Formats: sequence, C-alpha cells, structure tokens
Amino acid sequence: MDEMDYSHANARLRAMKSRLLGQQALDELINKPDIDALITALEETAYRTELQKAGIEHTGIIRIETALRRDLVYTFRKILRFFREEEEKISIRIILNRWDLQNIKTILRGKKINAHHDEIQENLVPAGELDYAALIELSQQPDIRAVIDLLATWRIEYARPLTRKLQEYLERRDLAILEFALDRFYFENARSALTGDDNYSKGIVLDLLKTEIDVANIRMVLRVVRDKIYVEEPGDYLIKGGKYLSFDQLVQMLAARSIEDIVKELIQTPYAFLAGVGREDLVFERISVLERELERFMIKKGCSSFLKDPLSIAIPVGYIWAKQNEVTNIRIIARSIMGLVPEADMRRVMTYV
Amino acid sequence: MEQAKPTRMELIRVKNQIKLAEQGKDLLRQKMDALIQEFFLIMRDVSDSRFELEAIDASARHSLHLAVAVDDSVAVRSAALATRRGVYLDISGKNIMGVPVPVLEKKVISKGTFERGYSVLGVSGRIDEVAEKFERELDLIIALAETETSLRRLGEEIQMNRRRVNALEQVVIPELKEMAKEIKIAIEEREREDLFRLKKVKKIINRRKEAEKAEA
Repeated sequence: MDEMDYSHANARLRAMKSRLLGQQALDELINKPDIDALITALEETAYRTELQKAGIEHTGIIRIETALRRDLVYTFRKILRFFREEEEKISIRIILNRWDLQNIKTILRGKKINAHHDEIQENLVPAGELDYAALIELSQQPDIRAVIDLLATWRIEYARPLTRKLQEYLERRDLAILEFALDRFYFENARSALTGDDNYSKGIVLDLLKTEIDVANIRMVLRVVRDKIYVEEPGDYLIKGGKYLSFDQLVQMLAARSIEDIVKELIQTPYAFLAGVGREDLVFERISVLERELERFMIKKGCSSFLKDPLSIAIPVGYIWAKQNEVTNIRIIARSIMGLVPEADMRRVMTYV
Repeated sequence: MEQAKPTRMELIRVKNQIKLAEQGKDLLRQKMDALIQEFFLIMRDVSDSRFELEAIDASARHSLHLAVAVDDSVAVRSAALATRRGVYLDISGKNIMGVPVPVLEKKVISKGTFERGYSVLGVSGRIDEVAEKFERELDLIIALAETETSLRRLGEEIQMNRRRVNALEQVVIPELKEMAKEIKIAIEEREREDLFRLKKVKKIINRRKEAEKAEA
C-alpha cells in the first residue's frame, strides 16, 4: 500500500479516534447514578445508533452490552473496508482473527454438550473474518466433526489444526486439545505470515504478536506452576517465538515452585511490573490480578502504536486496541453502576490509555 | 377416659400400664437427649459450613460480576458451555438412633485449570476464578446437603419424640393414674359396704340368737 492510501485511511481513523472517549468523558460516565442515565449519556456518543437499534430488543444493561458488541463489529468491518490492498488486510485480520478463534471455540463447546444452536448463537461476536451467516451455519452443524468438516470445505485455515487433533480429541474427549491446537495455530500462522520480508507495517503487527505470545506463555506458566502440573514436554504447553522471553527461560520458569518465584524471574524483563502487584495476591496465587496487569501492558503497548509512523498500519492497529479498551471500560462502568460497585473498585479494573 | 371395671385385676392391669408408660417415657426421654446431643453436634458443622458457603457465594458472585464486566458476558457464557456437565452422586443411608439419614458420596467437583475442558489461553484468569469459586461452592452444597438433611430429620424426630413424651407425661400417665385411683376408690368403697353389710348381718344373726335364747 502506498503512502497516499494510508493517508486517506489513516485520516479517517484519526477522525474516529478523536471520537473515542477520553478519561474525562469516562469519568463523567462513572458518575452516572443509574443505567438509564448512563444510556442517555452514551446516546450523546458514537454509540447512539447501535444503542437505538439495541433498544428495540433489549433494555438496561443488556441493551448497552448488545450495542457495544455491535458497534465493535461494525467498526472493525469498517476498518477492513478502508484498506484495499490484501497485504494490509492480512495484518488487520491477524488482529481480528482472535474473534474467529473465540467464535469457533464457542461453537465447539456448544456442540460438545449438544447445546441448542440458539444458545450458541447468542454467544457469538462476528468481529473477525467469519461473518454472522458463516457462524450461524457452523453452529447449526450436528457435531464437532461436522463443524471441522465445514471449515475444511470452506478452506478456512483453522480446519487444519482441528483436523490434525480430531482423533486425539475423540479418544480423550477433552476439548482443551482442540482449543489449544487452535491457539497455537493462530500464533504460529500469524507469525509466519508476518515474518519474511522487511516490511515496516508488518513489523509493527509482528512486534505486538510476539509480545502477545510472551503474555500467553506467562499465563500458561503461571497456571502450570499454581496447579503444580508435571510438565514432561514443555513444547506441549509453550508457544515459540515470543519477543522478550526465550523458550529456555520459559522452560526454566515452568520448574518454579511458586508464583512469587516466577515474578522474581521476570524482574530482568519488561514484565517486571508484575512484581508491583500486592504481596497478598502473590501469596494467595491470584492469577487473575497478574493477568489484568499483563492485559493492561498489552493494551498500552497496542495503543502506543498511534505514536508510530502515521502513514503505516500503526494507526489502525492502535485504533483497534483503543476501541476494544473503550468498549471494555464502558462495560465495566455499566456493570459497576448496576452492581453498585464502589468507584475505587471500578477504577481499579479499568484501563486508561 | 375409658370406663374401667372396678376390680382388683383391672387395678393390677392399670398399674402395669402406668409402669410401662413411665418406662417408655424414660426411654423416650433418653432417646431425645441422645438425639439432641447428636443434633447439636451436626448443627455446629452445619453452621460453620453455612458461614463458609455464604462467604464463598459472595466471593463467587463478586468474581462473576468482575468477569462479566471485563470479559463480557458472551465470553463467560462461552466458557460455561465448555464446563457444563451433570453432577451425579451416589446416595446411601445410615441410622442415627433409629432415624434414617442420607449419606451422600463425597464427590469433589472442584477441578484444576487444565481439567475444565477449555484451553487456558482462551479463557481469562477471571473466568477461571469464577469457575473455581463456583465449583468450591458446589462442593460445599453437596456436603451441606447431607448434614442439613440429617439435621432436619433429627429435628423432626426430636419434635415427634417430645410430643410422645408430653403425651405420656401429660395425658396417658395422669389418665391411667386417675383410672387406678378411681378403681381403688371403688374397690375400697365396695369393701367398706361389704364390711358394713357383714356387720349388719352379724348383728341380725346375734339379735336372732338372743331372741331364741330368751324364748327358750
């Protein structure tokens, strides 16, 4: 894509970014006394259209959450339309493909317990490459094998890891086998699509992806150590190709005796911020607290892409991260207002960028 | 009260009934004491578990609230699809002082992160925490189901026993005693009448003998 195309697409994205809610706007939302007041305030923002549409079917918190989800889907599809070149689309799709992963996992989970397709469809968010029609078709398949066959028929690349692991799944009936194969495939496939040529835009997405691999590996190590799982083959648990943590470092961490030991080992890395969580959280091995810090780190890193070359993929990448974070923040505010959660607790889980 | 025949045999029968009722009352009282002892023993466990259950429930709901807020209800429900399964328990029974109480199989629902059926990379730690806390809550509910049912059955049995003891103490034994008293009074009355009649007959006979003697 030449700079001319980027200038047009990124100018529109910058305009969209200016409509994202800043800290002051979020603070105003936090001070709303109830859900109705919050809806009224959100109707003054970019969420107006989706809130009005969602208002036909739902009320209260469900209306807000539905509108947020639909707005996210609409926005991501709009971003994809901004770019005509396949190369840029690939980079953006790599970021959006995690929604496909989530949707395929939801369908597989539903099929495993023979859930009705309506129940499965309620939990799908078509923000990735697979649109709603495709997801509905997948959810209507009779079983897991049929879902994988249909993905293969459509030549969707996720069929590959699923087909490879299907036999193992059928023998052990543990869905985690298929899910982990999907996660691993996502990271490895995306990494190989982004490596090779010396492309600045691809480099930005690759940098984020490698950091995500690090985060995924840290999350895995934290759980393995907390649950005291005996790891015979580290390659079965870890994903290669992280940014700051080598495979050997991670293998060493797998042998740690406690979460505190892992955090100590991370002090020499950019993940040293994990040492800042409360001592009690470390002692009681509250992984969710550490994970929230890792998520914050990723959000901030993703959003910092705005500071990179304005005529590159950095702008859409930054916008996608910022938009996702905004949606999460609004959802936190809405749920906290509904549950009468104290403001301090609400702010503790929010991320300002 | 049943009308009894005022005979010595009847008095002996009623006295035996009183003795039996008093023995039964004592036995029931002893059983009640034992049941109450057992009841308080279980109640201590139940009340400790209740507090624990309430605490874990509040904590689980808080975690669920947080997970729904940060990860979206869609992600939470999706993970729930992966972990949904039936809970099958074997239920047998035992006797506590003749009271049948259930014994539930001590099945542990809590699972490790890697046993829940989803990939740990696709589910946040918050959702994991929700699953973990609700599994612990389910474990406590299963444990409580046994003790609470035992407690309820023991409570019912204690109440029934108390009613029986009260009935014996307040109604049956006093009525039997009253009956015995009436029989005794009736027998004594009859004895006095007999004595009086005998004396009267003796008097008449003596008078007749004296008259015959005088004539002779």
